Amino acid sequence: MKVLMKPVDMIATYPRDGLPIPHKYRIADTDGTARVIKVDRILYRTEEKLAGNRMLIYRCQSTIAGTQRVYELKYELNTCRWFLYKM
Amino acid sequence: MTGERKIIFHIDVNSAYLSWEAVDQLQHGASLDIRTIPAVIGGNPEKRHGIVLAKSIPAKKYQIKTGETLYAARLKCPGLAIFPPRYDLYVRCSEAMLDLLREYSPSLQRYSIDEVFLDYTHMEKHFGDPREAAHQIKDRIYRELGFTVNIGISSNKLLAKMASDFSKPNKVHTLFPEEIPEKLWPLPVEDLFMVGRATAPKLHRLGIYTIGDLARADPALLKKRLKSHGLLIWNYANGREDSPVGDFPGIKSVGNSSTIAFDVEDRKTAHMFLLSLSEMVAMRLRNAGYLARLVVVSLKSQDFFSYSHQRQLYTATDSTNRIYAAAVSIFDEMWQGEPLRAIGVRAGALVDGSLQQLSLFDPGDWLKQRAMDAAVDKIRTKYGSNMIMRAVFLHSGIKPLTGGVWEEDYPMMSSLL
Ligand SMILES: [Mg+2]
Repeated sequence: MKVLMKPVDMIATYPRDGLPIPHKYRIADTDGTARVIKVDRILYRTEEKLAGNRMLIYRCQSTIAGTQRVYELKYELNTCRWFLYKM
Repeated sequence: MTGERKIIFHIDVNSAYLSWEAVDQLQHGASLDIRTIPAVIGGNPEKRHGIVLAKSIPAKKYQIKTGETLYAARLKCPGLAIFPPRYDLYVRCSEAMLDLLREYSPSLQRYSIDEVFLDYTHMEKHFGDPREAAHQIKDRIYRELGFTVNIGISSNKLLAKMASDFSKPNKVHTLFPEEIPEKLWPLPVEDLFMVGRATAPKLHRLGIYTIGDLARADPALLKKRLKSHGLLIWNYANGREDSPVGDFPGIKSVGNSSTIAFDVEDRKTAHMFLLSLSEMVAMRLRNAGYLARLVVVSLKSQDFFSYSHQRQLYTATDSTNRIYAAAVSIFDEMWQGEPLRAIGVRAGALVDGSLQQLSLFDPGDWLKQRAMDAAVDKIRTKYGSNMIMRAVFLHSGIKPLTGGVWEEDYPMMSSLL
């Protein structure tokens, strides 16, 4: 997987007793058009606090252009922003 | 090892500002680690001449030095990468490191934004041998927070601090008293804590070139030539120091300094900076409920030579005018007329502000002055700090209040352990 760290528009739920769950996101494709990707499965979640900055990392699975892909999303708690981290 | 001996760690972040910037960039997807290229963190790029605040190890190979101008640094290395300082990031990294260190001892002292003393005495039964614990701490900081530290271990703060400086990065060193002759004494005397640019030439004139030379020197002679400072560094050279970790609950001094966008060359302008700094220092004292018995003025000249003088006050104060008056008289005594790049005012020897001892020498209108300070504080807090200012600052281009950078709450390198 390659590090992309591209900001994405996200639809997620924020359960009252847990951490956010990503559902689907929109990302600008290489040609500039927007593409919406649905998160089919969250495989696992990890956490990091590099430089004291807490981020949640979600290993996810989606079907993109007909093929099943595994990739990672990142959520930055400090700024409430989502990123497509690695694919 | 005797049961009595203290175990002190000194934890020091390697190239702190630069490392922290590197980790933040990597976390946000950068593919290049700026620690691996010639790179510096450069002081305020909008101002006339920024200075190098931190450098990478590859930048060091180009002889780039902390404190020199970015212009000079670029001449040495044309491809040099320069990043602006980000104090919010540094605070966050520093806090995260402190949180991790708190797991290892209740007794910590934050010495500067990137240096912490940790008292490990009696902690062996929890975390094992000091060396192993230090390695564990160092490796955890790297793994969890992403940056490297050096850890020095000894039986006092001075030796621990000297040890963490031995060889970098990412290392644990010990410097116990029995290791002093082998590890400390061969070093050049200017490497010793508290031997600065002003002291080193004086020692050289006495034929003292290594820390060992200083340790073996005659204390009476040192006292004669260097006053009490001579005895202090003679004790340090012999590894003698016994201040406790976390000596200062809360803040130990309140200070502000300002790096100036132009060189200050005349007394009047310098006094205005002193007033601007004193306004903020005194306001912060009043805010925190302290009185100060000591005022310190520090100056940094164009060539980055810095020095400071201090004065005890007869009675403790939080008055803007009294702090300013002390700062001016200290300044007038110490300033040789050289162009100044930075000026600092600090109020120390703090005491509880709820009781105020008066002196016969206090100005008779002290009650009025107090009321005025309180009124000014109120207006500034309510309507903003620039709502009210001294007329001298009108059209001067100098801010009527200077400072507020949190970093100044930490003692500088030259202060006591
Ligand atoms: Mg450091």
